[in-house]
Amino acid sequence: MQEKKSLWKFGTKQVVYAAIGAALYAVLAYATNMIQLPGAGNVSFRPAVVIPMFFGIAFGPIVGFIAGFVGNILADLLSGYGFWFWWDLGNGLLGLVPGLIYPLIQDYKAGKSILLAELFVVLGSAVGMGVAALSEMWVSGADMNTVIFANFLPAFIPDVVNGLVLVPLLMIAYAAVTQRSGRS
Amino acid sequence: MLVSWHYKYRGSPMDQIDPRARWIFSFAFLVAATSTWNSSMLAVLFLIAVIWYSLGRTSWKETRRGWTLVLIMLFTMIVVNTIITGGGAGGVVPEGGQLVWPEGLRLFGKLLKPGLTVDRIWFALCQLMRIGGISMFFILIPYTMDSRSYGATFSKLGLPDKLAYTIELAIRFIPSLARSFSITLDAQRARAFELDDVKGGIVRKIGRIAPLIIPVTMNAILSSEDIANAMDLRGFGQRKRTWLFELKYHWWDYAVIAFGLLIVAVSLILVYGYKLGAFTVPPFFYQLFQ
Repeated sequence: MQEKKSLWKFGTKQVVYAAIGAALYAVLAYATNMIQLPGAGNVSFRPAVVIPMFFGIAFGPIVGFIAGFVGNILADLLSGYGFWFWWDLGNGLLGLVPGLIYPLIQDYKAGKSILLAELFVVLGSAVGMGVAALSEMWVSGADMNTVIFANFLPAFIPDVVNGLVLVPLLMIAYAAVTQRSGRS
Repeated sequence: MLVSWHYKYRGSPMDQIDPRARWIFSFAFLVAATSTWNSSMLAVLFLIAVIWYSLGRTSWKETRRGWTLVLIMLFTMIVVNTIITGGGAGGVVPEGGQLVWPEGLRLFGKLLKPGLTVDRIWFALCQLMRIGGISMFFILIPYTMDSRSYGATFSKLGLPDKLAYTIELAIRFIPSLARSFSITLDAQRARAFELDDVKGGIVRKIGRIAPLIIPVTMNAILSSEDIANAMDLRGFGQRKRTWLFELKYHWWDYAVIAFGLLIVAVSLILVYGYKLGAFTVPPFFYQLFQ
């Protein structure tokens, strides 16, 4: 029997999932920075952004938010970039928004579930990077053009592309793993 | 892959300040700095940031990576958007103003008419002080704050235990997940997995990262169930948590907090009480360009 999914539950399991998500995000962001994706020019692609998105979809919005928020803080600490609260918050929202569909998904490999997840990946990237980029108006005094072209689009486009490609693959793999291990 | 924290004990004054006091002071500074575009106020805040940064006793070699990121951001914000295109000055700097080259600028035999104004140069200086000051506060953190202190610090600052422990747990997971990533990378390379020379579009290139990300993620998820069960068996979340990393306030920590609150209070009074927060160019600066 499948356990009823509660959107805002934060018990022991969620604590561990959130911690693993945050650590994974930090490690993968750090590692892919080191490896450098070939051919991406000087555009910084961070495939690790799929971790908060997927953890949100698989374990709920709070887990997704913490995986993104804490994961980005840890990734920046590991890389020595400092602490940028508003971008951490944006990364948190990147995981929270896709997490809102968590109770609606029962079969992670169903086409409908994947389509819904893709939609919320785009929405999550728009909200997350939008909030982070808009905060630059408050912090740096940037105007709307600067915010859109220098902050929002260079962050939003790679995040969406990474999410659209990798989130379905993670969902299908997760469906196989849960089926094989008998987890719900 | 070696994942290591940048923190090391330096015996610096910053090492003696309680992390809670440091977070409170840093956020107080952020509030104060973002409340104003008044150059005099920003200059005072910038000076405070320089003194604060010097207390960390970090070297350029250590912090170079963080500063490179900030310098790129500053370059984009200030040089391109404020000085060249004038974009970043929108909303704060009034339209018009005194042109730096009213007669035009002759460059390589061509007469150019750049729209750069004295006001925008002054605004760029204000941006430099504001972003530079904030950066000094927040770049210092990875180098001067012990990563073991994060969970205890946020818990003592009022964050619920479960959230604080999530941060603590995430920090503890990093070495084992980095090892797992490294093993997976080696294993995939042994199977002729090619990451360094992939032909094709961006989608194909991102897809190539999947054989790395998926096994590491799924292994981590599978192991999490055991960890959660072990935590439940030990009664996790049943009582208020205690922390191995002990934090203790000293008199100087109270002084740092009080100073932080004073900075915020004075800034807000000047900005909202005396209306001194607006951007203005001092007359002497106009005269420099006449």
